[in-house]
Amino acid sequence: MNKESLRKSVSSALVVGIIIIFLALIDFHVVLAGMIQKLFGKQLYSGRLPDAGFFLVFLGLIGIWNGWRAARLDQQENKSLFQCIACSAAAGLTTGLVVAVYAVIVGSIDAQGTDLRVYLSLLSSDSIQFFLFQQPVFIGGLIHLGFGTLLAAAGGFMAALYYRNQDQLKERLSSVKSWYQERILNKVQSVPYINYILLGIMVLLLGIMPQVWGSYWNYVMGTVGIYVLLGLGLNIIVGLSGQLVLGYVAFFAIGAYTFALTTAPEPHNLVVNFWVAILASIILAAISGILVGLPILRLRGDYLAIVTLGFGEIIRILLRSDLLKDFTMGPRGVRDIAGPTLFGREFSSSADFMYLIIIAVILSIFFAKRLQESSVGRAWLSISQDETVAQATGVDTYKYKLLALALGASLAGLGGALFASRNQFTGPEDHALMVSINVLCLVIVGGMGSIPGVILGSFALKGLPEILREMENYRMLVFGALLVVMMIILPEGLWPASRPKLEIDVGKESESPQVGAGGES
Amino acid sequence: MDDNNKKSPLKLPQNSIKYARVIAALLLLALLILRGVNVAREAQLGSDTWLRLSVSGLVIGSMYALIAIGYTLVYGILFMINFAHGEVMMIGSFGGYFIFELFNTIPTTAADGSQSTFLNTSPVLAILIAFIVGMIIAAVAGYYLERIAYRPLRGAPRLVPLISAIGASIFLQNAGQLLFGPQRRQYINPTVLERGIGWNIELGGSQVVITYTGIFTLILSAILMVILFLLVQRTKLGRAMRAVAQDKQTAALMGIDVDQIISRTFVISGALAGAAGVMWGIHNGLFNYFVGFIPGIKAFTAAVLGGIGNIPGAMVGGFFLGIIESIGPAILGIDFQLKDVIAFTILILVLIFRPSGILGEALTEEKL
Repeated sequence: MNKESLRKSVSSALVVGIIIIFLALIDFHVVLAGMIQKLFGKQLYSGRLPDAGFFLVFLGLIGIWNGWRAARLDQQENKSLFQCIACSAAAGLTTGLVVAVYAVIVGSIDAQGTDLRVYLSLLSSDSIQFFLFQQPVFIGGLIHLGFGTLLAAAGGFMAALYYRNQDQLKERLSSVKSWYQERILNKVQSVPYINYILLGIMVLLLGIMPQVWGSYWNYVMGTVGIYVLLGLGLNIIVGLSGQLVLGYVAFFAIGAYTFALTTAPEPHNLVVNFWVAILASIILAAISGILVGLPILRLRGDYLAIVTLGFGEIIRILLRSDLLKDFTMGPRGVRDIAGPTLFGREFSSSADFMYLIIIAVILSIFFAKRLQESSVGRAWLSISQDETVAQATGVDTYKYKLLALALGASLAGLGGALFASRNQFTGPEDHALMVSINVLCLVIVGGMGSIPGVILGSFALKGLPEILREMENYRMLVFGALLVVMMIILPEGLWPASRPKLEIDVGKESESPQVGAGGES
Repeated sequence: MDDNNKKSPLKLPQNSIKYARVIAALLLLALLILRGVNVAREAQLGSDTWLRLSVSGLVIGSMYALIAIGYTLVYGILFMINFAHGEVMMIGSFGGYFIFELFNTIPTTAADGSQSTFLNTSPVLAILIAFIVGMIIAAVAGYYLERIAYRPLRGAPRLVPLISAIGASIFLQNAGQLLFGPQRRQYINPTVLERGIGWNIELGGSQVVITYTGIFTLILSAILMVILFLLVQRTKLGRAMRAVAQDKQTAALMGIDVDQIISRTFVISGALAGAAGVMWGIHNGLFNYFVGFIPGIKAFTAAVLGGIGNIPGAMVGGFFLGIIESIGPAILGIDFQLKDVIAFTILILVLIFRPSGILGEALTEEKL
């Protein structure tokens, strides 16, 4: 028996044990068990704990994963079935032991009547009892130990079987794939009007959905749409021209406040027409982009990032300070911001506003796409790849960087104006650093420099947390973990930019990504 | 491209812009100084206020400096902003807090026979253990942060580790909130180090309190900085770290295990952040899961201010930022809530004049 592989299994199992303990400490195991219960189609009443059986299902899944991992830790080695199972069982035993020790300790402290919530806020008595399957302390610990070992051994068995028959399975999978390729994909692609048909379906969907969704989903999708606008803007700055800007929220804030102050009755009572105000927001944001860019665009990389971050913070702090209280209402924010009007008629219902956002998004996508493929886009590309070389080949880098910042800022201004108008309120806290970070994340998660990527990224970053509402308190935690995992698995983003590919194999159809993008939105 | 240039209305003469920028910045600086002189002449604030503000600036600055060193060490080696560094400090803060809580529940008998707790009968030991535990926990967090979130991304484009760091930061913040709750907690200090107590100094007819916690923070952070400086300059590990920072490939060829050195760098910077976290708790008292975020950003600013990648620069930048933040609003005679505006404005000005920071060397293209 190889000692080294046993040692590896044990140390990997320790990590799994720590993960389980962490989940238990934040009471996440109850939520996950509840979700599994719902998955099985059983009603879960609020305020009631799910059945202990579903917690066992969850633990079993982790146990199998643990065993599987342990069995294939050193892939190059050909282990016998027995060795696989031994490794996995050792891993399961370790995890089980760690978890059982934790369960016994916490359980016995709880049994003494000490309230652990003073220190660990979610570790209630109910949660601990649930972790022990509502059993006495030692029996609960033993269940963890036995169950973990058993399932890990089963996982090891499965892994061993899988790797035995790996080649066969792969063959079958590839045959399914090629069948799909031949029979379905090629046929669909050979229909000449497929792009237009997809486009038509998409337009139809976009036309119908806002009426059907109801106001909650209109709100969520409206947020996604506004983030698409922001993402498109930042994509121009970061993705195309390669300047890392961390204070993007400043332009968003300038757009939102310009719109708010020109249309709200308080504090200035200007009450300008909606469209004029939108235009003003865009222009003012673009001008501020240029003004900010003038002194700082000489800086590169992380210096630029930190300066723009500082600029964003300055704007936010100024907005909430007493200094500008008479001008921007300070921390209270601006209320009663006007909704859109068209020829004197108000159309500010949630569905109407959704249409407005959709139109803005489509126009901006068109605008960004045209820019990207123009000579300006190529100049940006050259700057982002190597600024020195770009300058040497005659690209006025300063000018194009400034242009990128101005255009990106104007899109942020548009997004800010729409945001303020939809919420009919804007305050300093709408413009925290987190907005910049979210937008940057969505650009990179989607794939830098890729417009479909931006759309996909906004759905992932703004839509997903809404879908994860089930988990309420845990969604930001899950989101953070997903960001890390995503960067490790797919560093170039969900939908990588097609440009490099395009240049490598010339002549391939360049239209397909665009239509695919439409299908996503 | 030429064609474009002629058509474009955005064609700007570069040199004139450069001069305009310098002139604008100089004017701004002159205005600031003028304003400062005016406010000082009006003498609304006595010398006692100035002393109080500078001491508090120094104390805050020493904590910024400790955190900034962590940013600079990591940046010097990996050229990445370790966005989750502030969260490492938060973890250290919680470590120290729980040690104090624990010691406060151990009953002992004091020298004069009265009932007391371990925290108050042997405060030196308690504080020492709290710092050691806080630093170890934060160092372990830093180590695993690198192992899990950054190591798999070695060699990826530069924005990828940044996003991973942001993800780790969000994760750790929320984990802290879920584990320990959103409410603010208060450090229980040993009675010898009670907050708000200190030497009273008569100055300009009023009392200035120089708190013991402030002095303690200042001295301890100075000691830690000296230790770090010696570690980097005098030991084998330090030499290896400097070698890796200069050139990874060559360092690897010289027999240095680059991955291990990077891990150790994260351990060291985590330990410093943990110490800063415990100090933050002892000095300021209130803290919660969000405690690391703002100091993290400020410390990064400080690191850039001093010249990122440069350890003495981070120290200078930290103290500089702390003092600016503290006495800046008073000098300019504006509201104290605008202190961050001043800090960031100074940062922008410094970077416009001297993009490599106060002490930074001229960085090569590759590093920027």
